[in-house]
Amino acid sequence: MSTKDTDSKPPVAATSTPAATDPSRRSLLKTIAAGGAGAATFFGPWKTNHVWAQAAQKKPLVIGLTMDASGQYAASGGMERLGAMMAIKEFNDKGGVLGRRIESIHMDTETTPATGSRVAERMITRNDAAFLIGGVHSGVANAISQVAQKYGCIYFNTNSSSPTESGKDCHRVKFVWDGNGTNFAEAIVRNAMKANGKSWVLLTNDYVWGHNTAKATRTLVEAYGGKIVDELMIPQNTRDFASYLIKLQQIKPEVVATAVGGDDIKALRQQVVQLGLEKKMAWINNQQDWPDVYGLGPEQIFGVFGTTWYWRLDLPGVKEFVDAYQKVYPGMAIRVPGNVYYNGYVATRELLRCVEEAGTTANIAVIKKLEGRKMTARDRMQAFDATIDPATHQCQQTIYMASYNDKPAAKDDLFRMLTSSDPKDVVDKEAAKTCKLETYEATPTFEV
Amino acid sequence: MTLLPHLVNGVALGLLFALIALGFMLVVSLMETINLAHGSFFALGMYIALLVIAPTGEFAGAWSESWRALPIVWRYGIALLIAPIVVGLVGMVLEVALRRTYGRDPLYGLLLTFGAALVLEEGIRAVWGSTEKQLPLPDAIAGAFVIGDLIYARYRLFACAFAALAIGALWLFLEKTPYGSIIKAGAHDSEMVRALGINLARLRLFVFALGVALAGLAGVVMAPIWGMRPHVGVDAVVPAFLIIVLGGVGSFWGAVVAALMVGLVVGLTGAYASEWSLLSMYLLFIAVVTFRARGFFGKKSVLDV
Repeated sequence: MSTKDTDSKPPVAATSTPAATDPSRRSLLKTIAAGGAGAATFFGPWKTNHVWAQAAQKKPLVIGLTMDASGQYAASGGMERLGAMMAIKEFNDKGGVLGRRIESIHMDTETTPATGSRVAERMITRNDAAFLIGGVHSGVANAISQVAQKYGCIYFNTNSSSPTESGKDCHRVKFVWDGNGTNFAEAIVRNAMKANGKSWVLLTNDYVWGHNTAKATRTLVEAYGGKIVDELMIPQNTRDFASYLIKLQQIKPEVVATAVGGDDIKALRQQVVQLGLEKKMAWINNQQDWPDVYGLGPEQIFGVFGTTWYWRLDLPGVKEFVDAYQKVYPGMAIRVPGNVYYNGYVATRELLRCVEEAGTTANIAVIKKLEGRKMTARDRMQAFDATIDPATHQCQQTIYMASYNDKPAAKDDLFRMLTSSDPKDVVDKEAAKTCKLETYEATPTFEV
Repeated sequence: MTLLPHLVNGVALGLLFALIALGFMLVVSLMETINLAHGSFFALGMYIALLVIAPTGEFAGAWSESWRALPIVWRYGIALLIAPIVVGLVGMVLEVALRRTYGRDPLYGLLLTFGAALVLEEGIRAVWGSTEKQLPLPDAIAGAFVIGDLIYARYRLFACAFAALAIGALWLFLEKTPYGSIIKAGAHDSEMVRALGINLARLRLFVFALGVALAGLAGVVMAPIWGMRPHVGVDAVVPAFLIIVLGGVGSFWGAVVAALMVGLVVGLTGAYASEWSLLSMYLLFIAVVTFRARGFFGKKSVLDV
């Protein structure tokens, strides 16, 4: 929502009520009712971020950034937004794309699917967004992609990892940039079972990413002869995990596999450490986003977890990338970029490259540039080459396993990288079976 | 035996919820103002405590080294005292700003406190940054202990005991001191209290400061359990609101009983129907308010038959 729009309502006239001099039960109830309404809207305002002034000659290319700025994934939403803006800045420094300056407009998707739909609809129909980028919460990403498909607007899901995003909820206009729950489970389950045992409990965030990631883990555990003795669903925004941790102690599993993200995993990690449970059973977190672990003490970063990128990978370009982040965003609380920022950056950069190569913003032409696109390991600063699967639109990329680094070589050197898996070894085979992309003909043409 | 630990955990959780809700209840009762900034004061308490216990970054001057030489038990104890006082002082500023809204449409007070919540949250973000922070704890209350074959966090036990003490102390203050009597009378009929010569403006200032100071105190106590981030206050304000309505607006013990019920319901569903654990408190709320709109101990209206 632009600032202009929010200012359109006239101020409400001040009224005097009987409560002014005679407090009554009715006025109290009125206050409480209004309080309920106020509490229900307790979210941050939408924000507009015009990076560049409108160019005189050509209409600027508007990219809609659909990132969470509030709710469970606010921290990650902020980082992926910075990553996308960095890529946009680099292109604008070179003169934009197709001779057009690039503007970004950001609206807070509030970690809420309904808001995601509303934001996408508004960006496409009222803000002339040519492309939409951003998503951490899989429910939000799915909601945005449904709206995007309706109009034919290309949408990049940068950081949400539910296997369904490139499976049953795939769309012709949607491209999924992060590794998904199945990729990470493929990379970790077999080894974890060998090292730690066959009796597993799943701690699952109760929404689409958690469900589908846990489902992938369950399938693999059972396929390798292990047993899921229980699965505890954790509602989003849970802050007190005591009852879950007591239950875990009663069950006594050998391995706890969590698919918990955002602020929930931060609170969970702290409470596990308070009980010392990290030493009583093996812990695996399917994917550990950098903003969710940055700032935690060393003892809280326990267990083994997945990621797609780390700032101290010994690969060409990584150091320069970190330097560029620190130069563009000096004084950041998160001093070095992580996987979430990285995904926001590489996704946006690849989209703009494809627009340039296609020579148009027409959706089908750009989609065809993206489908099957090969990206070198060097270009993406990962161990293996990556490809965008034309059948699922998911970026098949290197999957890393990591743990806490007890011998850091530098400040913020939190992760010890354990393994790197070739994309072809961790493929989500189910996705290709369940993904039914709309045909080109069924996808509305879209060009801004 | 499998149920008992969950019952104990539910009561513990309830005590913590009660601590979060009491300050909210005080402000609503006396001032008929829904303080949407309650959660932000809760968060501010956490960060002030961090500043007192472990000053870092821009706050760490030459003085901080000698300060840090103090045993952490002392620093923690001082934080428990200082943080609510600082939060109370900030609350006083908000109360002064709120005065123009008294007696007007409740929306004015709501909007002002909502705005204050945003300002406080952004202020915390600007000063301390948005990354997760840790509140260091004295060894005596860190770590875990074992009962039977279960491990419990020592800090949780401390937090619950502290919450119970704070609830008891507040009750004694309200019931056994002349100031408490004035506050209760003010909640019942503020105009009559004014007619008796009590300075109502000062009373409201004091009660608001006390209410938000309690929020700050709850923040300090909850920081090691919930973690510290600028928007953590949202997690506190919603249960606080629910608990005071469930208990009956203005009822001290109503709020405590409601908090214990919410704690038990959330704790037990967490163990036996985990996907319902957060929703359960809202279901409880709907169930109670459907049949008893004024909550457990709310006063009967003349409209009730």
